[in-house]
Amino acid sequence: MEFEPMEPMNQMDEFEREVKQALERRPAPPGLKRKLMDRRSLRRTEHRRSHTVIWQRLAASVVLAVVLCGGWMWHEREEKRKGEAARQEVLTALRITGRALNEMKTQLAAKHSGDEE
Amino acid sequence: MAHDWQPDFEQLVDEHQSMVFSLASRMTGDRGLAEEIAQDVFLELDRNLARLESAAHACFWLRRVTMSRSTDAMRRRRVRSTDMWIELEEGHVASVEDKASPLGARIEQMLATLPEPQRAALVLRYQEDLTLEEIAATLDAPLATVKSQLQRGLKLLRAKAQSHLKDYVRVKEQTSGI
Repeated sequence: MEFEPMEPMNQMDEFEREVKQALERRPAPPGLKRKLMDRRSLRRTEHRRSHTVIWQRLAASVVLAVVLCGGWMWHEREEKRKGEAARQEVLTALRITGRALNEMKTQLAAKHSGDEE
Repeated sequence: MAHDWQPDFEQLVDEHQSMVFSLASRMTGDRGLAEEIAQDVFLELDRNLARLESAAHACFWLRRVTMSRSTDAMRRRRVRSTDMWIELEEGHVASVEDKASPLGARIEQMLATLPEPQRAALVLRYQEDLTLEEIAATLDAPLATVKSQLQRGLKLLRAKAQSHLKDYVRVKEQTSGI
């Protein structure tokens, strides 16, 4: 679509010049930059604070995880140790029983051969 | 994407605050809202600074985001053109008085009564000196639409200006007659 000359060209140019002059950039309000820098610094502080909080929470989570994991591992190891001790006790008991049975068997065999003689 | 441009936020604010504020102010017709929009736009610039590749890219980005934010703000407020007249009358007395010609003094007020897309095209064309292609890219609109909006806006503005000038001449004649 082309621009149609709605008015004589010189008049149109003059009007456009008026529009251009009227629409020159305005200076920004004097306090704009200061307010902006204040908001920026406040935002950065909040950002840093929220970062710190996130790191703190993360660290707390890691510590909690380590404690729970350590506790669980200690519990497992303790169970294993107790199981091993119980196994040793059973083996000792079996050894003692075996030895007693052997002694009894020897005595019975000796008594049996004495009776025959 | 790697680029050599090292942006300085404060320098960008110094360079572009007038542009951003003027665009927002002319789009919304409200100095307070325009200042708020300008601050938000620059804070968003701060967040996106690393993505910008050059000074020209930053300028384009600022124009685009300012226009978009201004449109959003107006949509939220649903300002009617009659209200804008009142706000402009109250808020821009000083700037109106500063203008050299009587027509120039009223053009801003007339601009505020135009439909938003036409106002956007005119502001980018005459305040920012952008080409039609640049306006289309800034507003993310087809080139033909931008041409049409600009043409219609200018026509409407001219009609309003002619009407205002007739009134102005009539008042002048009456005043000199007394």
